[in-house]
Amino acid sequence: MVALSFASLALAGVALTSAPSDGVALTSGSSSTAALERAPARQDDASARAAGERASVAIVVDKLLTVDGDDRVHAPGMLLIEDGRIAYVGPPTETPADVERVTIRGGWAAPGFVDLHTHIHSGGFGDVNDMCRTVNPELRAGAALRPGNRRIEVAVSGGVTTLFGIPGSGTNISGFGVLYKAKPADGYDGCVVADPGGMKVAQDSNPQARAGDFAFGNTRASMGWALEDVCDRALGATREGRRDPSLENLQKVLSGELPVIIHTAGSEGVINTARMWKVKYGTRCFISHGSFDGWKVAPAIAALGVPVNHGPRTMDFYSSRNGRINGSAAEFTAAGVPLFSLNTDSSVMPQEEFFLQASMSARLGADPYQMLRALTIHPAQTFGIDDRVGSLEVGKDADVVVFDGDPIDPRSRVLRVWVDGAVQYEFVRGKQRF
Amino acid sequence: MTLCTLLLAALPATAAQPATPDLLAIKVGKAETIDQGTLEHAVILIEDGKIVMIGEDLPIERGIPVLDRDPEWTVMPGLVNAYSRGPLDSRGGNDANPGLRASDELYPGEDFYGDVLELGVTTLGLYPAGNGIPGRAVAVRPRGDTAEEMILRDDVYLKIRMRSSGSDKKMLRKGFEDADGWIEDEQKAREKWEKEQEKKKKSKKKKDDDKSVAGPATPSLDDDDGEYTPPEKDASAEAFLQLRSGELTALFAISQASDYLHLIDAIGDEEFQWDLRVPVTSELNIFYVKEEIGARGCRVMIEPQLSQHPNTLRLRNLPMELSDAGAKLVLVPRSDSVWGHEEWLHNTGEMVGYGLDREVALRAVTLEPAELLGVGDRVGSLTPGKDANLIFFEGDPLEPGTRVEAVMLEGEFVAGEVKL
Amino acid sequence: MRFPLHVKAALAAGLLFAAAPLVRASFTPPTFDDEEESEEGEESAEEDGPDTRYFAVVGADIHTGTGEVLRGATLLSKNGKIQAIGYDIEIPGRDFQADVPSAERGYTTEVLDATGFRVYPGMVAIESSGLLGTGGDFRDSIDPFDQNMVLGLGAGITSTGQGSSAVKLKRYVSDGTDVDYDFDGVVLRDKWYTTMSYNSANSRRSLREDLERASQYIREYRKWQEDVKSDKELKEPSKKGVNGSVVEVLTGQIMAKFRADSREELLGIARIAQEYGFRPVIDGAREGWTVADELGRAGAYAIVTPRERRDKNELLVRDGGSSIENAAILHAAGVQIAIKPGSRGVSLGGITGRDIMHLPVEVGFAIRGGLPEEAAVASVTTVPARMMGVAHRVGTLAKGRDCDLIVTDGDLLHYQTFVQWAVVDGKVVYDKEAELFFAHIRPRAETEVAPLQRLDAGENEEEEEGDEDDDDEKDKKKDDEDDD
Repeated sequence: MVALSFASLALAGVALTSAPSDGVALTSGSSSTAALERAPARQDDASARAAGERASVAIVVDKLLTVDGDDRVHAPGMLLIEDGRIAYVGPPTETPADVERVTIRGGWAAPGFVDLHTHIHSGGFGDVNDMCRTVNPELRAGAALRPGNRRIEVAVSGGVTTLFGIPGSGTNISGFGVLYKAKPADGYDGCVVADPGGMKVAQDSNPQARAGDFAFGNTRASMGWALEDVCDRALGATREGRRDPSLENLQKVLSGELPVIIHTAGSEGVINTARMWKVKYGTRCFISHGSFDGWKVAPAIAALGVPVNHGPRTMDFYSSRNGRINGSAAEFTAAGVPLFSLNTDSSVMPQEEFFLQASMSARLGADPYQMLRALTIHPAQTFGIDDRVGSLEVGKDADVVVFDGDPIDPRSRVLRVWVDGAVQYEFVRGKQRF
Repeated sequence: MTLCTLLLAALPATAAQPATPDLLAIKVGKAETIDQGTLEHAVILIEDGKIVMIGEDLPIERGIPVLDRDPEWTVMPGLVNAYSRGPLDSRGGNDANPGLRASDELYPGEDFYGDVLELGVTTLGLYPAGNGIPGRAVAVRPRGDTAEEMILRDDVYLKIRMRSSGSDKKMLRKGFEDADGWIEDEQKAREKWEKEQEKKKKSKKKKDDDKSVAGPATPSLDDDDGEYTPPEKDASAEAFLQLRSGELTALFAISQASDYLHLIDAIGDEEFQWDLRVPVTSELNIFYVKEEIGARGCRVMIEPQLSQHPNTLRLRNLPMELSDAGAKLVLVPRSDSVWGHEEWLHNTGEMVGYGLDREVALRAVTLEPAELLGVGDRVGSLTPGKDANLIFFEGDPLEPGTRVEAVMLEGEFVAGEVKL
Repeated sequence: MRFPLHVKAALAAGLLFAAAPLVRASFTPPTFDDEEESEEGEESAEEDGPDTRYFAVVGADIHTGTGEVLRGATLLSKNGKIQAIGYDIEIPGRDFQADVPSAERGYTTEVLDATGFRVYPGMVAIESSGLLGTGGDFRDSIDPFDQNMVLGLGAGITSTGQGSSAVKLKRYVSDGTDVDYDFDGVVLRDKWYTTMSYNSANSRRSLREDLERASQYIREYRKWQEDVKSDKELKEPSKKGVNGSVVEVLTGQIMAKFRADSREELLGIARIAQEYGFRPVIDGAREGWTVADELGRAGAYAIVTPRERRDKNELLVRDGGSSIENAAILHAAGVQIAIKPGSRGVSLGGITGRDIMHLPVEVGFAIRGGLPEEAAVASVTTVPARMMGVAHRVGTLAKGRDCDLIVTDGDLLHYQTFVQWAVVDGKVVYDKEAELFFAHIRPRAETEVAPLQRLDAGENEEEEEGDEDDDDEKDKKKDDEDDD
């Protein structure tokens, strides 16, 4: 996987090594005794957060799921935040007197969740589809971003900290998405990670219904032609060194600088997508949805090495015709798809219920810990932002969620969320947001 | 057996068909008799439209015309489709009309009859259209200039639709209530009549006594010892009384397993002869109650068609499963069109290919439907005494590609070019 | 509990009249004898006969639904009613009783070895749709083969409210002989509530009028009942203009159900219910958490969907909108909570975790909002059973109750837990391994497979379970039955 063009980050703070713990297991049951203890008193007024205060803080929890390469779990564990980044991860240790120490009894810390397929950036389902032309490589969802909208506020209370807000699937190429953090008070500049963050292609079903241009793009054939035509024109422009503002971003996709998320579902759609975008154009593409009987081509997708970002449908009954309630996450992971992640397609599923995609996939046969990866490190790797988010490792952004139990159990409540080291949500009885 | 002198047929013959002699012996390679298994090198003796003898290698008396198609031909009884609308075109309603008769719709001039006859269908059960209780079916021969000529037997079954619904269950229960109501009325009427008779007798006696005392009296005006006439039955009471007495049978059209349970619930303790009609649908779930149906031993009328286990691609052979469970199988064409009748035997053959017992399959298109129609004593098997309704094939009747060579209806060739 | 006397009377009356529901046309006000429930559990005294059916679950941890957990205990039912729960229970006809001559036994016994599993009361979904077929009177319309019923059982639901009736997911189990199905047993109760509304000026006025007339009538009727003892000629008070359903509500035979969400409506309902002395059932109750004390004082029941999300009207200063803590706050104020998911039917479209098949998930969100686990389990067992007036039959496991239970492979509310078996009226009506739906997911390990022993009347040999006659399913069924 080609690394993204984000500036590589210097490892900050004390580099204490942490001992790998033994088994990783999300045990059942939630702890009802979780309580917050904090010393010394913490500033939590919104203005301090909005200003992006970067005080050092040490978080001590009963269980710390790093979701790092070695799947380290520290129980108990401590995480030190300095200047918005993670400075230490490991067993609890002494902290300097000026560092705030937050002990959360019964707390489980996990990386903030990364959802690569969301539409809540504009506050709802509005402003996502421009139904005029079949291919719109010049459009950017970033222009519609409302960082303080209510849905983002609620999302962060469900542990979602990084979102790829993308245009809809009304047309073949509906434009470019914006990658942002759930920091409702921080404004556009404060929350945007990359704009454009990547391109959105809808290769199947929805655009066929009405893909913009009158009477064009209503069949797979015309859609295929439209996509290949525009790609070939962009490649031509690159070859000839010609500048075409409407193709500029698409050129970045074709050169591997930006990823492309491809809305596609069903087995033929999935395999055709992989063929066109991975084999023919060699882009950093990943399949989004892959629903219905899409799981049936999982081995072929695994062989091609195309990541799958699955959802909002994670179960199939009608298309597979085997009488089973097929949990497709279980099938994709069993087939060895290299990077399997989940999505909500919010607001198809409420953004804050992102974790439920993991619990339901685990219910239908997938491994619960693999599903936690599918909410965190896998989407980060899929998008090439794993140098910043997706796991709790020294040097990464301090996007930390503390639950009072198994992070993917609906019964576990979110106690506190830090994004880039600042508290974005805190549980208060009577004012629980989600 | 007395054999008549050979007469040249003076029967009305169609232009295309040479007249068939009244007495004829036919030798074939194989005969599917239905009731006595398969005979090799069979000889069938036909006289006056009836089968008089059948057996293997029977000697044929000199002078009897012989049609010798041994070994290339196979013969089987004419097909009996007990569930057809044929060319009938009335619509029917949703209510209970147990007095209606499909025979009232019969119009002999329709091409349909001739068309299916040529395909070997020699008996049809025509049912009335509609939901609820649409009425009574009639068994016909697909030939004749008048309705009377066509009808083999009327009132062969009462068609009743039964779904998992309160209204259908109520309709059935009401039918029997109507019957009970009539019985009650009749009892009352009889009692009343008897009392009146009693009274009359008394008053007569009294009058007689009076007469003796008081001299001549006026003659009695109502002196007729009137015959007892039971009250009129309405159509519903009549039909359901006929069901109870066995004069009529019921055919319940159901469409899923639960309907069968509700049917049994609605029938309750009533005892009468009934059979089932279950149209095959792609994911028919009747297999859930096949053992229950089998335990009843009733007939099940179904298309020779595979279906799928619900929500899967797994094929199920429901006719076979029902038969294996103990139900008596009646197969009907997949489509009631002429084309459907043309495909009927081959479709039946497919079921055999998928495991249905061959004998059961052949019986399911001949004798079983004939018995359902109450004409099993006349048609449905190659049995002496029955109508000579025969189909001749070159090859196995159940194999695709096998053609009908000739069809005989009541001793007369009605299709195929047969040279004696 | 608030208003204990009233509730007791209501319950007693409710139970009495559940058996013989009143028809509006021939309305007769009820008596108010504090009669305790009877009949139940009596039939165990019956002699065993060829139709006698014993069923036992052995080896499981039995969660009775009343807070008790019996580890590795036995539950025995006879003819669909629970006869005993506990230890050292003799199971008639089980092999260790082989000294009983088989010819004298003359009954059937099924034993489900559920060692290592948990037993819970079958869940009671306060509301669902499409689990029993198309509707109407389910005695005449139930589809006991309906796929949704199987999935409902697989989700752990054995009883549910459908429309205003309370029904059981009585799946048909074939034993390979003639039809054996108790259609009447499908319906627990024909009508457990009447709908009332308080959402407009008109409805508020007419509700008050109805309540006034009905309570007036009840007073007159009671007086008449007394007076008629001395004066036999006294005429019964007129029923003219009296809404029979409202009388039924006021006399505690049925519940009054309101569909209400806003704070104002909820307060109004609480007030009027207190004024006329009945306990309202509030369906929705979105802003209930803002007026929980008032609802608690009114003895209200609430049917809530914890995941419901509706932001408050930003123009208002006061609290409002939905809250994940709604169930917890209401519960803390004494409101009895039943939980229903956002989607009442079975949904197989691919987005999972939101329909009736995921009742425990919905309950999980109430716990997330602070509802104690016990109250959470009660919200899908005892509370809905009580609301529907069928708690003497379902919702808990106790002697005399219907043998409706589920056997799970873990904590009822954990997201990975599957129902392994569901039992209704003492018959196994769902076996995860025997259905295509979930059998492939974490199949029961060979050693865990608890064989279903069947001891047929007069036979000592176990016979293969007469099952769904599906060949593949049968193959999957592990028949390694062994003698004890």
